[in-house]
Amino acid sequence: MFETVAQAVINGLLIGGIYALVSIGVTLIFGVVKIVNFAQGEFVMIGMYISFFLANQFGIDPLLSLFVSMPVLFVVGVLIQHFLIRRVLGPNDMPQIFLTFALSLLLLNLALMLFTANYRTVHTSYSDEAFHIAGLYIPVAKLIAFVVAMALSGALWAFLHTTDLGKAMRAAAQNRDVAMLMGINPNRVFCVALGIALALAGAAGSLLMPFYSAYPFVGQVFVLMAFVAVVMGTLGNVIGALIASLLMGVAESLGIQYVGADSGLLVVFALLLLTLAFKPTGLGGKAR
Amino acid sequence: MTTRSLQGRSLALLAIGIAVLIVLPLAVRSSFAIDIFIRILLFSFIGTAWNLMGGYAKQLSLGHAAYFGLGAYTSTILQIDFGISPWIGMIAGGGVAMLASLPIGWLCFRLRGPYFTIATIATAQALMLIFLKFRDLAWGAEGTTIPNLGNAPLMMQFESKAAYYYVVLGLLALGLAITNLIERSWMGYYLVAIGEDEDAAEAIGVNAPKIKRDIYLISAFLTALAGTFYIQYIYFIDPPTAFSFNISIEAALVSIVGGIGTLWGPVIGTILLETTSTLLQSWLGSSIGGVQLTVYSLILMAVILWRPTGLMGMIGEVRQRFFIRKPARA
Repeated sequence: MFETVAQAVINGLLIGGIYALVSIGVTLIFGVVKIVNFAQGEFVMIGMYISFFLANQFGIDPLLSLFVSMPVLFVVGVLIQHFLIRRVLGPNDMPQIFLTFALSLLLLNLALMLFTANYRTVHTSYSDEAFHIAGLYIPVAKLIAFVVAMALSGALWAFLHTTDLGKAMRAAAQNRDVAMLMGINPNRVFCVALGIALALAGAAGSLLMPFYSAYPFVGQVFVLMAFVAVVMGTLGNVIGALIASLLMGVAESLGIQYVGADSGLLVVFALLLLTLAFKPTGLGGKAR
Repeated sequence: MTTRSLQGRSLALLAIGIAVLIVLPLAVRSSFAIDIFIRILLFSFIGTAWNLMGGYAKQLSLGHAAYFGLGAYTSTILQIDFGISPWIGMIAGGGVAMLASLPIGWLCFRLRGPYFTIATIATAQALMLIFLKFRDLAWGAEGTTIPNLGNAPLMMQFESKAAYYYVVLGLLALGLAITNLIERSWMGYYLVAIGEDEDAAEAIGVNAPKIKRDIYLISAFLTALAGTFYIQYIYFIDPPTAFSFNISIEAALVSIVGGIGTLWGPVIGTILLETTSTLLQSWLGSSIGGVQLTVYSLILMAVILWRPTGLMGMIGEVRQRFFIRKPARA
C-alpha cells in the first residue's frame, strides 16, 4: 500500500518537473508581457520534433539536442514577440488571446500536414534503464529530465534575481510604466521573456524525447497542465508555478493509480475547478 | 432622410435574402451542395449563439462545446431510452445547458480575460472526459447510432436533406432575431459596456455578474439546440463528436473573422471560412489532415493583425466611403 502510493508520488514528481518547465514559461510570459501564450504546448512539440530528427538523421542523443532546441526556440520566441505579439499589446483582450491561439492552431496543423499524426519515438541506451531503491522504480531517463528541469528552473530564478536584465524583467512585470520611466526598454525585455519561455518549452521537448512519443497533439496535454498549474500557483509567480506543477504531476499520477488509467486529466480538471471555487486567486493568494 | 431610405433598403435586402434562402434547396438539387449550405447555416447559428456572450460582452469562451454536447446528449438519451421526440428533447437539452451554465459560469466568471477562456476550455474538456469515463451515463466511448426511422418529421428525421436545411435555417433565424432584440435593448448596451470595460460598467451601476449570467444562459440554450440538430443530422453520437473542441473553436472563429459583436458577423465569417474550406477540399482532397485548420488559423491571424473588426468592419469602411461621397455630390 505505502509503496504504491510512494511509487505514484515519485512518478508524479518526475513528470511534474517537465510540467514545471512549461508552466514557468507560461507564467513568465504572463508576468512580464501580460499575455497568455496558448501556443506554449506547440513549442514543446517543436522541441520534441527537433530532437527526434536530430536523433534520427544524425544519431544525436536527445539530451544533447537540448543545445539545439533551446537556442532555436529562443530565437523563435524573440521573433514572435517582435513581429506578432508586439502588434497586439494593448487594453483589448481579444487580439491577444486569439493571436497566440491562432498560432497554436497553425503550428499544430502544420505539424499534422508535414509529419502526419504518427507517433515518433527515439530509443536511447538509457531509455529502459532504471534504479531500484527500497522497492521503488525510478527510470533513468525521467530522473535525468527531472534533474535538468529543476536545474533550468533554478538557473532562471538566479537570472531573474541577480542579473540586470533579470531585474529589469521583474521590474517590468511589477509595473510596466514605472519600469519604462526607469529607462527599461519594454520590447527588449518582452523579447527576452518570450525567448526564455520558448527555450524552456524546447528544453521540455528534448528532455521528454527519450521516454515519450512525439506527435502533433502532444503539446496540448502539457499546455493544459501548465494553465492549471499557473492558475493554481498564482498568475505570474515563477515559484508558485513550479510548486503547483509538481503537485499537478502527483495529483495526475495518483488519479491514474486510484481512479483509472484514463482519469489523470479528469483529476487535474477537478483540481482546477476546486481551486476556482475555493481559492480563485491561486494558492499564493494575491488577487488579480 | 438618409437613415430612413437606408432602413428601407436593408429591409428590402433582407426580404430578398430570405426569399433566396427559402428557394435555394428547391433550385439546387445536389445533396453535396445542400450539405454545405446546412454546415454554413449550422455554424452561423453556433457562432451567433457564441457572439451574444463572446462578441457583445467580450467574454471569450472556448468551451461552448460543453452546451453543444449537453444538448446533443439530452435529446439523444430522451429519444433512445424514453422514446421522446427530439423536438421536445431539443428544448429539454436547452434547459439542461442553461442549468449547467449556472455553476460553470459561477466558476469561470471568477476569472477574467485569458484565464476565463482557459477555465471554459477546462470545463468543456472535463465534461467530455466524464461522458467518456462513465459508461452507465451514456454509452461511454463507443457512442451510439440514432435509430433510423425513415421519414419521421415528428422525430426530427427526414428523407430529404432539404428538410434539415429548413430546420437549421429556422434555428439561425431564431438566433438572429434574439440577437437583434438584445442588441436594441438595454441589455445590449449593458453587454457592450461590460465588454468595453467591466470595472467602469460596474462603477456606473451595471450589475455585471447578473448580466453576464443571463447572457450565458441564453447563449448556452441556443448552443444546445445546435447540438441536438447536429446529432439528428449525422445519426451518431459519441463524446469526442458531441464535445469536440473544434465546435468551441469554430464558434469563436466565425464570429471574430466575420466581425465580433455584430449581428451579421458570425454569418459572414462562416460563409467565408466554410467556402474556403470546401474549395480547399475539392482542390487538395480531404486526404491531408490539418489543411483546413491551417488555413483557418492563417485567416484568423490576418484578421487579428490587420482588421480586428473583421469582415463587417471592412464592409462598414466601404459603405462609409460610398455614403460620404454621395451627399457631397447631391
